[in-house]
Formats: sequence, C-alpha cells, structure tokens
Amino acid sequence: MTEVAQQEEPERAAPLTALFTAFLIVSLCGFAGGIVWARRIAVENRHWITDREFADIVSLCQLMPGPNIIGIAVCIGAKTRGLIGTIAAISGFLIIPWAGGLSLGVLYLEYAYLPVLRNILGGIAATAAGLLTATGIRLLMPHRRRPTALLFAVLAFGLITFVHLPLLVVLFGLVPLSIAVAGVGSARAQ
Amino acid sequence: MTDPSAPLALTAHLAVVSSISFGGFPTVLPDVRNFVVGTHGWMTNQEFANLFAMAQSIPGPNMILMMSLVGWKVWGFPGAVASAFATFGPPCTIYFATYRIWDRFRDTPWQEIVRLGLVPVVMGLVIAGGTVMARAADTSWRAVVVTIAAAAIMLATRLNPIWILVIGGALGGLGLL
Repeated sequence: MTEVAQQEEPERAAPLTALFTAFLIVSLCGFAGGIVWARRIAVENRHWITDREFADIVSLCQLMPGPNIIGIAVCIGAKTRGLIGTIAAISGFLIIPWAGGLSLGVLYLEYAYLPVLRNILGGIAATAAGLLTATGIRLLMPHRRRPTALLFAVLAFGLITFVHLPLLVVLFGLVPLSIAVAGVGSARAQ
Repeated sequence: MTDPSAPLALTAHLAVVSSISFGGFPTVLPDVRNFVVGTHGWMTNQEFANLFAMAQSIPGPNMILMMSLVGWKVWGFPGAVASAFATFGPPCTIYFATYRIWDRFRDTPWQEIVRLGLVPVVMGLVIAGGTVMARAADTSWRAVVVTIAAAAIMLATRLNPIWILVIGGALGGLGLL
C-alpha cells in the first residue's frame, strides 16, 4: 500500500495537518450534512480535488457499507496523500470529536433538554436541510444537459421522497439501470 | 454485571454489521438494538433510544459515538474503544481498497460510463436526503422559508455555510421559527 502511496502526483500533495483539520471541521459540522463541508473545503477552498472527483467519491461511498462521510475522508486522504493521508483524515475526523462526544455523552444522560437549546437546534436543522439540498443540486449540475441523467436523479429523488422506498432498494435498483442506459448512450455516440 | 465474553461478543457483532451497513450505519441500527437489548439485555429499550437521541445531538461521528457509548455500558472505557474500532475499521478498509481500484482505472471508458450512470442517482438521493431532513425540521412555514433561503444562498454565493447555520440557529433561538 505504501508503494501505491508514493505514486501520487506532487500537485495533489496536501499537508497532513491540513487533512486532519479539514476532517475535524467536517466531523464537528456533520450534523449539518458532512458532504456540504467536505466539498467546501476539499474542492472550493483547498483545490485538492475537482468537483467531478468529489462527485465520484460521494457516489462510490454511497455504494459501500459504513458511514459515508468517513468514507469521503478515507478517499480524499487516499487521493491526496495515499495511506498516510487516509490515516490523517480519519484521525482528524475521529479523535477529538470522539473524545469530546464520549465525555459529553456520559454527562448528558443526567440532564434533560433545555428548551432554548432545542429551539436553536431546530433552526440549525431547518438551515442544514437547505444546505444539503443545495450541495446535491450543485454536484448534479455537470449532468444537467443529459436528459437521462436528470430522469434518474428525479427517479431516485421521487422514489425516496414520495414513494418512501428503502434507500437500498432505490440505490441497487436504479444504479445498474442508470449505468446500462449510460453505456448504451455512449456506445451510440461512438 | 456482564460475563467476560460480553465485550468480545459486542465487538465481533459490531464488526460484522458495520461491514454490511450499506446506506450508512442507521440501516443496521434495528439489528444492533435486537442484539444489545433483546438477545443480551445489556440495556433497556429506553436507554438505547436515549443514547440514539444523545449521539444525534452531539456534533461529530454520531453512530461511532453511539456504539462507543453502548460499549462503555458493557465494558467501560476499553469497551468504548473496542466498539469504536469495530464500527469504523471494517468500512474504512473497504473504502480505501475500493477507492484505490477506482483511482487506478481513472479516465478509462468504462469508468466514465459508470460515472454517468451512478452520479445522477446518488445526487438525486442526496437531494432527497435534504428534503427528508426539511420535512422533519420544518414545523412551520417560517422554517420552510429558512430552508429555501439557505439553499438559495448556498447556490448563489460563496458565503461560508457556517454563517448561514448561525443565522438559522439564531432565528430558532429567538423563537421565530
């Protein structure tokens, strides 16, 4: 694995401390949708990866088991610095928030919710929903000129939102179909 | 309160379910509940639900934290650490290996086809995730306006999202939503 890591192009190099800090922020802001922050930092601010690569990573992670956001940390770390980058990103994502959360968690059971705290969390939740929606729209933009891409995006959206099908059914039902249609489309184009 | 094999059983079980938690850890949460509450009786249903609510409201890796608190309950600090590793270790290994393979074949024709098919479906799901969150969070028309305004500002400007969240939280804290 270290051999693979050494083959990385130098322009992708990201400082390990920056990876650690980036995913510490992503982790702490996770309640507002981790991919909002991961895209903001890795694509817009640091230019570690492109929007296309980010969309790839989000999509791959969606197909894999586990918490998707930590998957994004693993992949961006791997892309920029190989295995050591992955370890830096995971460490940033986990160590401080986990230690803080565990301490809070042990205390937390003792106290009931404060109403003001609940209202603030409610306002943040409403805002976060908008941010997550906007990030999805933005990552879909490169595909906006392909009618079949929009069709499958609308299908995925509708089957979850209106038909209430389980995520796994929608994911593993639509993805093979969508890839098959894309394959036929690109074969025709040639 | 528990026999010595308990932490081992919990860790092994978490390692297995985290490896098959397609769609995120919440998909296997019912199974974990059955194992922890039903099969082993390490805690009550109510305690499990409280741990969930708590982990959800603390910023950070919620599900890893929640499993650590379950581990804490069974075997104290070592149990918390073991549960954390069992929850994120196997998926991280899978992510890393998969991404290595994907990156090795970048710019091949088949990868472009997979991308064209895969990305729109997943982005439809992400947008649906935002809508599902909105449905839970938007308990008044004012909250709906806040959600739509947040999405519009995010799309139209490069304003740091933290400010949008601060404004949303402040509006909520002032009792305006």
